[in-house]
Amino acid sequence: MSDDIKISVRNLYKIFGDDPQSALEKVRTGTGKAELQRETGHVLGLNDINVDMPTGKTTVIMGLSGSGKSTLIRHLNRLIEPTAGEVHVNGENILDYSERRLRRLRQNEMSMVFQKFALLPHRTVLENAGMSWAIEGKNRRQYVEEATTWLNRVGLEGQGEQYPAQLSGGMQQRVGIARALTSNSDIMLMDEAFSALDPLIRTDMQDLLIELQGELAKTVVFITHDLDEALKLADHLVILKEGFVVQQGEPQNILLNPNDPYIEAFVSDINRARVLRVRSVMEKTAQVPGDIAGEVDFNDTLESVIAVSQGDTTNNYRVMESGRQVGVLHMRDLVRALVPRKSDEEVAEGQGAH
Amino acid sequence: MATYDFLFDTLGLRDWCGAEQSGGLSSMADLMGQAGGETETTIWDLPFPSLDALNEACSSVPQSRDLTRGLERGFLDIKDSLKVVVDPLTQPLSWALENALWVMQAVPWWIMIPMLMLVTWGVGRSGKLVALVAACFGFLAFIDFYDHTMQTLAIIFVCAFICVLLGVPIGIAMSRNDRVQKALIPVLDMLQTLPPFVYLIPLIFLFSVTEPKLYGIAIILYAIVPVVRLTDLGIRLVDKDVIEAADAFGMTKRQKLLGVQIPLALPNIMAGVNQTIMMSLAMVVIASLVSAPGLGVLVLRGIRSLELGVGLLSGLGIVLLAIILDRVTKAALARINAEQKS
Repeated sequence: MSDDIKISVRNLYKIFGDDPQSALEKVRTGTGKAELQRETGHVLGLNDINVDMPTGKTTVIMGLSGSGKSTLIRHLNRLIEPTAGEVHVNGENILDYSERRLRRLRQNEMSMVFQKFALLPHRTVLENAGMSWAIEGKNRRQYVEEATTWLNRVGLEGQGEQYPAQLSGGMQQRVGIARALTSNSDIMLMDEAFSALDPLIRTDMQDLLIELQGELAKTVVFITHDLDEALKLADHLVILKEGFVVQQGEPQNILLNPNDPYIEAFVSDINRARVLRVRSVMEKTAQVPGDIAGEVDFNDTLESVIAVSQGDTTNNYRVMESGRQVGVLHMRDLVRALVPRKSDEEVAEGQGAH
Repeated sequence: MATYDFLFDTLGLRDWCGAEQSGGLSSMADLMGQAGGETETTIWDLPFPSLDALNEACSSVPQSRDLTRGLERGFLDIKDSLKVVVDPLTQPLSWALENALWVMQAVPWWIMIPMLMLVTWGVGRSGKLVALVAACFGFLAFIDFYDHTMQTLAIIFVCAFICVLLGVPIGIAMSRNDRVQKALIPVLDMLQTLPPFVYLIPLIFLFSVTEPKLYGIAIILYAIVPVVRLTDLGIRLVDKDVIEAADAFGMTKRQKLLGVQIPLALPNIMAGVNQTIMMSLAMVVIASLVSAPGLGVLVLRGIRSLELGVGLLSGLGIVLLAIILDRVTKAALARINAEQKS
C-alpha cells in the first residue's frame, strides 16, 4: 500500500507567533486553538496533521477559510516551514532537503496553480507557460514546443503571444494550468485554483481537470472550500477544521457516514442524488435476484437511476462493472441514502482513517 | 550677578567653577547690564538655562560658541585623514564631470542638437516631444545660452547616472532587509530635508573649490534620495502572489530579482529616476555658488550684480530644461507602463 502513496504528511504542526516551540508544548498537552491564542497570542495553524496522498489520484483538502488548508498545501513544497513534523515526497523527507535540492523539487517534481493565477505580467503567455524551463536555464527555442503543446491542450491555441492581462480570468487560469503541466512534474498543487472564477467557467475548468487527470494521472492536491467541487474532483477527501483533520477518506463514504456534526452540517446542503453513486449504496452480491427491473452501471449517479426507475421504489437493479455483475441495487436503499443520516457518537470517536 | 549663581552655590560646585567671577565682559548683555547698573530680575526675565546663561554664573561651563568652534575644530582635525580616503574614492567623479563637460561643449551644436532629438525619439517615440526638445534647445542657443545649457546638462547626466548606479542597489538592499531599511530611512530623511546649502559647507573644507567633484558630491547626495526610496518601495509593492509563484517554481533569489522584482518595479524606479533628475537640476543651480558651471552661474550673476534681465532669462532657461527632462523621462515611464499593461 505504501508504494501507492506519493506524499505523506506525518504529525505536522504549524504555529504562527514569536515562540512557536514553547507554544507547541502546550498544543501537544492538549491546548486548543482559541485557548492558545488567548493565553500566548500564538495562532495554531495546523494541529497534528496526518495525511497520505495516493499516487495518480486527486486528493482534495476541504475546509472553510481559516481552517488551515492553504497553510497545509504550502508545507508540501515548503513555502511555509512547519513547526514540527515530517513531509515525505517519494519516500524522502523534504524537510531534510538543502536549499538546492528543494529548488530541484520545486522545479521538476512539483508544480503549483494559484487562486489568483500569479502569472508574470511582463511575460507573454508562452513565456509564462515555459517558466519552469526558463528557470532551469533553457531558452525559448527549447521550450516553445512543449509549452505550445500544453497551451493547445488547455484550449489556448494561438494565444501564446498575448500578455496575461489581455486574457479573461478563466483563460489566465488555463495559462496557470499549462504552466504547471509544461513543467512535467508528477505532482500538481492547486490552491483554490478555481475559486476566483465565475460558476460556469469553474465547471468548465473542473471538467478540464478531470479530463486531464484521465489522461495524465498526476498526483493532484486540490484545495477548495466548496463541497460540490470537492466531491466532484476527489478520489480522497480530507476535511480540515481549525487546523486539524476532522475526517478523511473516500468522498462517498464521508457523505454516507459523516462522523462529526461539522461535516453533517456541510453535507446537509448537498444534492445527494447527484453526488452519490450506485456503488456506494448497492448490496455487494454476485447472485442474480428474481425480480430485476434492469441494469445500471456501478458508477452511475443515483439521480440517473431515479430517472430510469421513474420513481418506482420497489424496483431492484443489477449493478454492472464492465459487463460483470458486482451487486444489486434496491431502490429502497437508494431512497434511504438520500436522507442525511445523523452521526452516532461512537462513530465520531474514531476520527481520521477509514 | 548672574541668574543661575544659586544653582552652583546650592550644588556646592562653586569651587569647580573657579573663584574669579568678575572677569572681562564677555557678552553684550554684560555690557548692557554694566551700563544700566544692577537691575532687579523678575520671573518674567528668567533666561533659559542655556550654555551661555550658565556660563555667566560659572565660567567652567562652556559657552555655545565653544560648541560650534569645537565642532569645527573636530572636523578640521579629521579632515586630513578623511581626505586620504574620500579623495581617491571620488576622483573618478571629477574625471567624469570634466570629460562630460568637455564632450558636451566640444561637439558642435549642429551635431549635438540632432543627437539630443534622436535620444528623445529613442526614449519617447513621440514626434511632438522631439519638436519640443528642438524648439527649447533652439531657443536657448538663439539667446546665446547654448554653452551654459550644455554644461548644466552634462553635470545632470553624470550626476543622475551615478545616482541611479548607486541608488538602485541601495534601494534593493533596503527592500530585502527590514533592518537596512530602518537604518537608512532616517539618513534619507536627513539628506532630503537638510538645506542644500548645508551640504556645501563641509565639502568646501574637504576639497578645493576648483575641483568638480565638490559640486558633484553635493548634487548626488541631494538627488539620490528619490531613486533609493522608490526602488525600495517598487520592489516591496511587487505582487506577493507572483513572488510566491516564482518561489513555488524554484527560482533562485537572483532569478527572482532580475526576472520578476526589478521588471515589475520598473515603473516606480523610473518615477524615482525622474525625480532624481529634477532634483539634480535644482541643486546644480545652487552648486554654482561653488563654481559649478552652467545656467546657475547666470542666475548668480543676475543676483550679484542685479542684472535683472540675465537673471530672469536664465531662470526661464532652467525651467525649459526642467520641462524637457521631465517630459522625456515621463515618456519613457509611460512606455514602460504601457508595455506592462498591454
